[in-house]
Amino acid sequence: MKRSMQFLVAAGVAVAGIAVVILAQGSVAGPAPAKEQQQVVTDCVESRVGYTDITRKEQAVPEYGYPNVKCSPRTHKVWWWGDPFADTIPMGDMPALDPNDKSKGDFAHAVVRPREPHLQYFNMFPDKHCEGCHDGENVPFPKNNIPRELGMHQDIVENALDLQHGRGAIWCLDCHSAKHRNKLVDHRGRLISFNQPQKLCGKCHGQIYADWRRGIHGKRIGSWKTGGKKRWWVCTECHNPHTVQIHRFDPIKPEAPPELPRGMNNADHELKY
Amino acid sequence: MSQQCSGHCHCGKGAEEAESIDTTRRDLLKYMGVAAMAGAMAEADSPEAEAATFKEWFQTHYQLMTDSEKKACIARLEARYSEEYGKHVTVSDAPPLKGVLFGYALNIQKCIGCRTCVHACVQENNQSRYDPEVQWIKVLKMEKGGDSFSEDKREKGYPEHSAIGDHGVQVGGNAYTPAGVSLEDSVRYYDPEKVPEDGSFYFPVQCQQCEKPPCVKTCPVRATFREPNGVVVIDYNWCIGCRMCQLACPYGARRFNWGEPNLPPEEMNPKTHYFGNRPRMRGVMEKCTFCLQRTREGRMPACLEACPVGARKFGNLLDPQSEIRQVLATKRVFRFKEEFNTYPKFFYFVD
Repeated sequence: MKRSMQFLVAAGVAVAGIAVVILAQGSVAGPAPAKEQQQVVTDCVESRVGYTDITRKEQAVPEYGYPNVKCSPRTHKVWWWGDPFADTIPMGDMPALDPNDKSKGDFAHAVVRPREPHLQYFNMFPDKHCEGCHDGENVPFPKNNIPRELGMHQDIVENALDLQHGRGAIWCLDCHSAKHRNKLVDHRGRLISFNQPQKLCGKCHGQIYADWRRGIHGKRIGSWKTGGKKRWWVCTECHNPHTVQIHRFDPIKPEAPPELPRGMNNADHELKY
Repeated sequence: MSQQCSGHCHCGKGAEEAESIDTTRRDLLKYMGVAAMAGAMAEADSPEAEAATFKEWFQTHYQLMTDSEKKACIARLEARYSEEYGKHVTVSDAPPLKGVLFGYALNIQKCIGCRTCVHACVQENNQSRYDPEVQWIKVLKMEKGGDSFSEDKREKGYPEHSAIGDHGVQVGGNAYTPAGVSLEDSVRYYDPEKVPEDGSFYFPVQCQQCEKPPCVKTCPVRATFREPNGVVVIDYNWCIGCRMCQLACPYGARRFNWGEPNLPPEEMNPKTHYFGNRPRMRGVMEKCTFCLQRTREGRMPACLEACPVGARKFGNLLDPQSEIRQVLATKRVFRFKEEFNTYPKFFYFVD
């Protein structure tokens, strides 16, 4: 009996000691890293900030209860795809690269997110898009393609006399149709949909275009199998054609760095110089 | 049962009894095992759950199980995870695909170091979110060569004069500021306002899925092994947590669960694979599996889908038309730490 009492006392002291140690550690390391309830981000961005928005929808894949996308609370960047084919349409017809072009079959299951719904200027004319103003009456059609200063759209092209694309060789109306503002236009005057900018960009950037066709350049998600259903990113979903000379891909905010190892206060050990 | 008792449980009254009789070591071990089991089962609430816990503890290596044992094992796990996370969790054991050898390629010229892939991986693979924070991909920032020889650094790197002389060593201007892929000078905790930064390039490292994996060679219990489609996997229930593989891996790709993983139920991905992203327990290794649960069903890995610049390419190395083969055929490709003869299936390339 006495022995067990001694044991109990000893155990009590030991427990108290441990508690003190734990408390001391707690006060040094600050409060325990509790999980703060993170807000669900619904306004997400895919690649190009301001141009490739996507809205989170719950239960897009009911089987697993997935939303269509999960996004970073820090940068609002999409970091996980529940449904890789959210809001997509078929990419449409693509010409064969050459007679032996085997990748043509890939396009049967290729889908893209349409770019045309993004053709809005401060939410004016959600269905007429650019032609709401550029109809030949409100804004007359331009007579030629000689570079001049623009009265509007400085937010897109800061200085139209110094377009940051093509190093002076091209200007707005080399790519934008003068009379059909909801369309692009190639050097032969053929109208090209904003959903298929690759047909226009590939005219000059042939090497990149060939790589893109083969799946080496650019992003695509979905199935890894050849001929499987994939969502392709088109040129303007990553590159801003108006400022591409400054940055091929506009810099973005990075995600948070990893947690430092326990007991380390900073990462100065990495910086040797 | 949420925690696995690792044999350190209190034996309580049993310990005193064991003290009183002259026991051999074997008897004591046996006794501790039973006591630990009793402790573990005390947490379970029904006889069925107790039986399931017992079976999970004493299950064999997954590859040695019979089909019926595998089925029972999967059902056990599904039931336990579903209860623990409050949603319907599926555990697949889809076998490796026939005629497929997975390969991965990463364009280090394109990578901007934004770490989106790191977090995509965490969202997909049910890693511990905090305390400890487990991430399978690490992104290293390195200096471009041109910057090492820039005006402000040209005179740096000479040995400093000391009282005992310079030892006749003339190291040259930039011996201490090496450029290019140099792990010694890589930075991992960078956090600038915007990426990419001028003069830097970024080098994400994850499991390289070696053809001759040092981790597999060193595992004393064969808990980790390479599957026919080229992915090195771990049987988490068979892993003893000795961390030999972590030491053996030249790429620092393996992670150890030092504590009980903290995985909030609302963030848990209910689509899992036995060798892939099913929730792990304390004291086992884990690492990138090329998202087994996705890629065996034909879907791209999560890190690839998240990459905002399309720097990541994945596919079947045995299919000449696949994207990965196109990369290997037409781009300048290297493998990381080639000199170790590990033959990674992860390639880095530039345009």
